[in-house]
Amino acid sequence: MTIQAPWRIAVDAGGTFTDIVIADSRSRLIAVKAPSNPPNPAKGVLDGVALAASRVGLSVEQLLQGCSRFIHGSTVATNTLLEKKQAKVGLITTKGFRDFLEIRRGLRENPWDHRTPFPEVLVPRSLRVGVTGRLDASGAELEPLSYQEVLAAAEYFKSKGVEAVAVALLHSYASPQHEVEVAGILRDVWPEAWVSLSSSISPIVGEYERGSTTVVDAAVAPRIVPYLLELDASLSRLGLANRLLIMQSNGGTVSVETLRRHPVTMVLSGPAACVGGLRYYSAASGHQNLIAMEIGGTSCDVSLLYRGNTPITDAVEIAGHHASIPAVDIHTVAAGGGTIAHVDQGGMLVAGPDGAGARPGPACYGLGGGDATVTDAQLFLRRLTPGPYAGGVISLDGDPAENVIQAQIAGPLGMAPDAAAYGYLELVEQGLIHAVEKLSVERGLDPREFSLIAVGGAGPMHGASVGRKLGCRSVFVPRVAGVFCALGMLNSEIRSDFVQAVRLDLDEAAPEKLEPLFKELESKARAALEGEGIAHADRVILRQFDLQHPGQQSHITTLYTNGDVVAARAEFDARHQQLYGHLQAGSPVEIIAVRVVAVGQQPALPMPSHPLSEVPPEPVSRRKTYVDEVLKWHDTPIYEGQSLVSGQSLRGPAIIEELTTTVILGCGDVLSVDPAGNYEITFEG
Amino acid sequence: MTIDPIRLSMLQKQLDHISRQMGWVMMRTARSPIFSQSHDFSCFLTDRSGCVIAQADGIPVHTGGGGFAVRALLARFGADIHDGDVFLLNDPHVAGGNHLPDWTIIRPVFLEGQCLGFTCNRGHQSDIGGGAAGTYNPQATEIFHEGVRIPPIRLVEKGEMLRDIKDLLLLNTRTPELQEGDLSAMIGSTRIGAERLTAIAKTIGLEGYQAMLDQLMDYSERRLREAISQLPDGEYAGEDWSDTDCFVEGVTKVKVSMVVRGDELHFDFTGTDEQTQGFKNSPLANTYSSVYLAISSFFDVSIPRNEGTYRCVHIHAPEGTIVNAQSPAAVTMCTVFPAQDIINACWIALGKADPQRACAGWGRNTICTTSGLREDGRPFVMYHWIGSPGTGAVAERDGFNTMGQMTTLGGMMLPNTETYEQIYPVHIHKVEFRQNSAGAGRMRGGSGVEYHATIKVKGEYSYRGEGARRPTGLGISGGRDGGGGAMFVASVGGERQAAPQYGVRRQGPSEIWITSPAGGGFGDPIERDPKAVARDVEDEIISPDHAFEVYGVVVDEAFRLDLEATQDKRNTILRERRQAAK
Repeated sequence: MTIQAPWRIAVDAGGTFTDIVIADSRSRLIAVKAPSNPPNPAKGVLDGVALAASRVGLSVEQLLQGCSRFIHGSTVATNTLLEKKQAKVGLITTKGFRDFLEIRRGLRENPWDHRTPFPEVLVPRSLRVGVTGRLDASGAELEPLSYQEVLAAAEYFKSKGVEAVAVALLHSYASPQHEVEVAGILRDVWPEAWVSLSSSISPIVGEYERGSTTVVDAAVAPRIVPYLLELDASLSRLGLANRLLIMQSNGGTVSVETLRRHPVTMVLSGPAACVGGLRYYSAASGHQNLIAMEIGGTSCDVSLLYRGNTPITDAVEIAGHHASIPAVDIHTVAAGGGTIAHVDQGGMLVAGPDGAGARPGPACYGLGGGDATVTDAQLFLRRLTPGPYAGGVISLDGDPAENVIQAQIAGPLGMAPDAAAYGYLELVEQGLIHAVEKLSVERGLDPREFSLIAVGGAGPMHGASVGRKLGCRSVFVPRVAGVFCALGMLNSEIRSDFVQAVRLDLDEAAPEKLEPLFKELESKARAALEGEGIAHADRVILRQFDLQHPGQQSHITTLYTNGDVVAARAEFDARHQQLYGHLQAGSPVEIIAVRVVAVGQQPALPMPSHPLSEVPPEPVSRRKTYVDEVLKWHDTPIYEGQSLVSGQSLRGPAIIEELTTTVILGCGDVLSVDPAGNYEITFEG
Repeated sequence: MTIDPIRLSMLQKQLDHISRQMGWVMMRTARSPIFSQSHDFSCFLTDRSGCVIAQADGIPVHTGGGGFAVRALLARFGADIHDGDVFLLNDPHVAGGNHLPDWTIIRPVFLEGQCLGFTCNRGHQSDIGGGAAGTYNPQATEIFHEGVRIPPIRLVEKGEMLRDIKDLLLLNTRTPELQEGDLSAMIGSTRIGAERLTAIAKTIGLEGYQAMLDQLMDYSERRLREAISQLPDGEYAGEDWSDTDCFVEGVTKVKVSMVVRGDELHFDFTGTDEQTQGFKNSPLANTYSSVYLAISSFFDVSIPRNEGTYRCVHIHAPEGTIVNAQSPAAVTMCTVFPAQDIINACWIALGKADPQRACAGWGRNTICTTSGLREDGRPFVMYHWIGSPGTGAVAERDGFNTMGQMTTLGGMMLPNTETYEQIYPVHIHKVEFRQNSAGAGRMRGGSGVEYHATIKVKGEYSYRGEGARRPTGLGISGGRDGGGGAMFVASVGGERQAAPQYGVRRQGPSEIWITSPAGGGFGDPIERDPKAVARDVEDEIISPDHAFEVYGVVVDEAFRLDLEATQDKRNTILRERRQAAK
């Protein structure tokens, strides 16, 4: 296959597999799956690129020379923490406060489950050192920093084999002065140590949240930065003209040079690329409001685009550790093809949260799995075809599926196996519906104003059913449903976020007070875009406020344009009404942070456009499948995805078999193939 | 009618989802830090008879107690409950409340003219008048000293807020602005719950809906019966006590005799002391919640917690005792004490029936509240929560070194020092774990913390030093008690002295020191993994001497274990114990 230069390349490296997607100048998409290489992630990426090159009949050098943008996302940061392979970190904090990291604000996610321990603290108490020196809440110095104690801490850390130092001193969000002094001392006496400063990583109020973010940064930095530098160098040596871009948690990309200043922003790299994917399919479908549901073997990631924007949250939890960084709001639930069904002691059917994993996997994989999973239920209801599955990696066998459905679900519930299997799918889909509602309804958005994008290996099996129950306008199934995030990377922008904690009354906030704050952040923002080589015409710099009523725990981020405080207040009130169902019109509002977002706009990924066919599609076969409780077993046409072309449409019940997934249509579902070749499902009745 | 068990699973999840959704709304809209930061509220749904059917979002010590409130409303208003009404109550003696600060908003939900249930929100108000700012008046001797009493009343009629009532309520608080916002948040959350509940009931139909609720409650009951039937039949005793009634020292005891018979549990509180003159008395709703908390935290976490669950639990709480206080007893402290005494007494009894599941005691909090005017003249009420106690250990983990009130089981967020220094006139000097305090055990208790702060303005101090004297984090199944707590005060530059255990004082700018009580240990200390002991030594949670004497573990200066010497020491300890037993 030949591709036409220039093309873009995205590499999304997961723990097991790496997705590589190439988009050429004729909007052709080539997706390649390669094994990841966790011990040597740079080599993993290069091997993936080599595989992709051979797939398109080019040498690695040719592939890289013709590449206009190379974007990389990776789960390395997250997996480093999940697998406890982080760097040994020492924490320097204010004397008397070395335990905030372990206190974790005393909060349990599920209080009733008081028996489960917290995840191991990232820095043991013996490596948390308090030093003399104190600022007050305004940033004024109450007591100078003790040079001697910092020096002693450095010597102590060296003797303990510490690789990275996190520095989080009280009130450093208000003044970085003492932290900068600490960094200076460390640089002098121990230049090879990685140092993360809380005032630079996440200058927000709250020693726990800021400090934990800084510790996470220090813990992952030595595992990320060297491999990215190595990868960057290798790629340019092999012919990549432009610099390597890294996907961050905020859904935007930056160069390695920028990322190395705050590697913690890479923790959601990968899933956060959904932003680009949402925008791409928004352009394709013409829908401004989209909810993406990406379902794999064990989990479902839900993300959202509303009026063209993806909500950004200011904190994430990684392997149980808190990080306050701007991140695409992604809600993840344990629901996927491998989610296990069981009947509890009281006779109630429970879905998950355990999954069968890849090995032994669902019973129908025939690899020794004895649990009934979602995939087993789908196969038993004959919505999946026995034989090669997931691009031929696995082969599905109907007998074990039937056995586990009977033994694990139908028998204990005293139900017919088909009703039990179908009921299990409904239970799982209700969980998916609740996940979508958590992300939409919780912020006052109505799923009926959205179209759903069903992606991932298992997404298209549930998309139509979930979309119909939620009352969504339509369901969109991309033809390359398996590589949603890698595709999103190809369509991403360059983005950096800057924040400064303050505490000001909004109504009394005079522009002359605000201007210097924003000016300082904007000069950083401009420098960042300059550094990324973004032309002036492509630069977008936005000012934002984090606003709340005094005492509220969460804030609302609003735009601040042309010095118009009144407009910011109006936006706050409108969003408050939408989010919470009531207004506190007369109540004061305070600014708790000012933010500047720097975006470097990139040309959008073009959409292919195929001629429309007027020939009705032909099924390749028909068989009885279990459609729903009314139709039950019903003669259902089976279509081959590869034979469906733009302009064709068909109605459910029907099944469309793609190479790596299956689209399941129920009664009243109408599927049409759009000019770009993607499926859009609408609902009748 | 027969009901598909899968439909039932789905309904259970939907109801939980609704109560959580109500919580999202509440959490993000409430104004007072007590809601937005401490999550001191519970959203719950009941059936039309007032039985709690879902309370997925709520603090543990509210479990099941809301049913008392809805039933009190039904008793008062009967058929005079209409679509668009919203009710309010708080009184523990006449309205099924737990204590006056917890206001319960109750909204009837209608379908086709028939009531199908109630969506409710019980939340702790920031101030309700009474003898002390911030709802806790340690000098109260009758409920009239504790704030405004509200029987079941209508607050919204046919969708319209009754302005007179609202004005009356807001006049009776020191923080009307906060309360107005909080009330809107509470009412808003019940409206969203009602919309969702109606939508579900509509698809099922009213009769089918009620039938499914009945089956859900039957299911929960089966789950707990199954767990209880694993316990050996017999009678198991438990007790815990306080050393003060807030005025004078002396023992006030909660005593329980737990009988396991087949798949039923009987808790008899006969022998518990009479209600006290102070505000540490529990009305019935709070006693039931506390027993439910003890049970649900003891057994498998996946057992649902609705009123069906507890049908196999029988509670006898004699009238006029601290576990069934009668009017006009003061009760505001009840959600903490005697709730914690009740839970501990039940945990001890349950632990005797199944020592492997036993829960060691959490330290009793030793805190105080400072209120006054900030430098800019604005009023403030500051809880010294940062000095919270350590928790008890269980077989699966050590105690947590510091955590909020045990009756929230960790559902209460502790403040950051930075935020406190921003919004209050306070300078905090220290918040660090204690040493050699953690209740020793195979799993050790939480250490507690040393807290030291200077309050820069004059103010009123309300002391609640429940754990300030004896050790209170009780060890279990061979574990030791955690170290006791202490609280000291000094006027700035003045001499440090012990703070009153309970009481209200007016003070000039002051320093305060809290040594928070440690949690109890679980199991025999000499069975603790020596590596965990060495880690505690290196972390300075215990000293090398403590490791040697209490755990029998020998660690050198580089924190290396001497396993041989450890084995010798542990053998010696065992030998000494045998001799002592003779």
